[in-house]
Amino acid sequence: MDKNILIKNKRVLVAMSGGVDSSVAAALLKEQGYEVIGATMQVWDYSSCDIEEGNGTCCSSLDVDDARAVADKLDIPFYVINCESKFKEKVIDPFLAGYLEGQTPLPCVNCNTYLKFDHLIQKMKELDCSFLATGHYAQVVESEGKSYIQTSEDDWKDQTYFLFTINPEIVPHLLFPVGSYKKPQVRELAAKWQLTVAKKKDSQGICFVGNQGYDNFIEQHVEKNILAQKKGLIKRFPVGTIMGEHQGIHHYTYGQSKGIGLNHHEKLFVIKVDASDNTVWVGDEEYLYGEEVKIINTHLLSNLDESKEYSVKIRYQHKGALAKIIKLGASEYKIHFKEKQRAITPGQAAVIYDDKKLIGGGWIQI
Amino acid sequence: MTLPSMNVKAYLDHNATTPIWETLYEEVPKWMKSWGNPSSIHQTGRAPKNILREARKQIAEYLQVSPLEIVFNSGASEGNNTVIKGLAEKILLEPMQHRTEKCEFMCSTVEHPSVLKTYQWLENKGLKVHWIPVNQDGELSLDFYEQHLSEKVLLVSVMGANNETGNVFPIAKLCQLAHQKGALFHCDGTQLMGKAEFDFTSMNVDYATFSGHKFYALKGIGFLYIKKNLPYTQLIHGGAQERYRRSGTENTFGIASMGYMLELMAKEKNKILTMQLLRDDFEKQVLQRISDVRITGAKAPRLANTSHMMIDGVDGETLLMNLDLEGFPVSTGAACSSGNPEPSPVLLSMGFTRDQAQSSLRVSLGWGTEKQQLDLFVETLEKIVKRLREIKHGQKYFN
Repeated sequence: MDKNILIKNKRVLVAMSGGVDSSVAAALLKEQGYEVIGATMQVWDYSSCDIEEGNGTCCSSLDVDDARAVADKLDIPFYVINCESKFKEKVIDPFLAGYLEGQTPLPCVNCNTYLKFDHLIQKMKELDCSFLATGHYAQVVESEGKSYIQTSEDDWKDQTYFLFTINPEIVPHLLFPVGSYKKPQVRELAAKWQLTVAKKKDSQGICFVGNQGYDNFIEQHVEKNILAQKKGLIKRFPVGTIMGEHQGIHHYTYGQSKGIGLNHHEKLFVIKVDASDNTVWVGDEEYLYGEEVKIINTHLLSNLDESKEYSVKIRYQHKGALAKIIKLGASEYKIHFKEKQRAITPGQAAVIYDDKKLIGGGWIQI
Repeated sequence: MTLPSMNVKAYLDHNATTPIWETLYEEVPKWMKSWGNPSSIHQTGRAPKNILREARKQIAEYLQVSPLEIVFNSGASEGNNTVIKGLAEKILLEPMQHRTEKCEFMCSTVEHPSVLKTYQWLENKGLKVHWIPVNQDGELSLDFYEQHLSEKVLLVSVMGANNETGNVFPIAKLCQLAHQKGALFHCDGTQLMGKAEFDFTSMNVDYATFSGHKFYALKGIGFLYIKKNLPYTQLIHGGAQERYRRSGTENTFGIASMGYMLELMAKEKNKILTMQLLRDDFEKQVLQRISDVRITGAKAPRLANTSHMMIDGVDGETLLMNLDLEGFPVSTGAACSSGNPEPSPVLLSMGFTRDQAQSSLRVSLGWGTEKQQLDLFVETLEKIVKRLREIKHGQKYFN
């Protein structure tokens, strides 16, 4: 691929969330001589919204203010891009629907798929930029004239798990400036450049849920009569003994052992959530282990070799386990792990790596 | 505090705010020496009191009204809220069954949010508001107005000119009709000042609101015109300032800047015609060089400085960013609405589609705008529109 055709200038659109990582990303690019344009996607600030609703933009998030302050400090152009309706449609609504279907959804991937690496890619083109940069812990590497995504230097922070839906065509246009650093170094850089966000806490969990807990969030955003239909029985796996009742399947996730709502002498785990009859199956930990999983809506950045063993992550903080991958249908694959894995959870993604290189991933279906 | 640097080739967003007039940079520091409280009895209160008196006189002279009819406040948003809520208060305090006479309101659908939302607030409290439609040509429906204007109407609010399209409304005529039915008339005159020639007394409105920062004075200052002996309830309670009509220590420097500007404006009326000629030439160039552009409200009377257009196949938000990056601050609509993902309610209420509304661009000229700046702007606009349309029409970006 001839880079001269692709990369027409050094102008880069940086997605700035107001956090330390994307702030340092912008600062690094500025230092490297890029013409940097900062942008924050304004999505609904679900966590701190207590102003009267129904009055247009109810709250401009403090994070947007933080991003703006960093852009001012770096003296770069900065714009707020409104994504509220798209965010609701593509991220919030499927998140809510997923929980009601007994899954444990992964909204960050949808945000990347439909907002950061679609909507912002469109803005990147429209603003005549050659690159889009984010504060993700990931790296773009080049080999044999092709660009790939690979894991970051900081293994613990690595966020490539959330990037498997990226269109391979856009990879040469992506920059992940903090991906070659470790988190403490990123904070040091923020402090060195006196960015106001240097000591800001990392966002924990899902950005729009905040501190309230995901079940509180669901209860605030789903109609009461719909939630009432999600009540059901708690049964013992696999025998089916009725152990009790529950207040809604959205309170449960695979592998959960706390807050099940049973007064039982053994430690029990959620083995399965069956949305068809709202049954929450609980049982001994051994039943959580499985060696196979089917993935759907699979998205590949590189070709797969069925004879080869890959490392597959089944949740963000999973270390990755060796597995073979077999094609079942157009975008359906079977993943066969070398060793059994704990709590393979529908709604999460199985993400495939060849050593450090991101190959692709799909959505776990049970 | 470090402020971001600016790269402005031509500021073309004068309907959002005007720059501070250059000679004010010399005048304001002089006024700042009179820092006393104008309400003080002692000597430090004399000079600021003098500033207020002088400015009130300059403003009254400009409008050809009595100085007693001018009340200083923080700007038109406050003025609009004060007039509408003040008049509605009496009705709201009465029990529902006694609300027989003069308990209805009328306003246009294209008012500034400080009027629109205040009336929506009244509607939520159970009061009747008639919303006068405005068509795609920027004309207010006189038929609707005459049909719904009854003896029951207490107050009519119609803006002098619209901030987005620049369309000017026939205030004198609307006001005359209102008075015939015994209704009071309130005009948000914010956009008129310095952008249209108008004879305030012949409009004969009962209340009018203005903001200093729309006519080259300082920000956070404005005034309210209240015709003598008409009902009025203060919004801000407190001290005796403005004869108990608006409490709070006066913003003397801001007030002085308004008086100064209106005195200057009376001498510089040619600036309005100059802007109009530039604007007309600008629109001619745009229409010649860029296809599928529609100038909004061009058939109806407009402010001299405003050019609102819809450009097919172009997203206004992105266009704005591109133009800004090239050094041309412009707007897609009201500055008060930016940060709101919804297309302009003003354009939607005029019957434009969401797509049309989202493809809009507002260019508003000022007293300092020069032809060379506009020529450069048209060139830049043409280039950006061409590129955005190519992207939109799927020209491949990736190799």
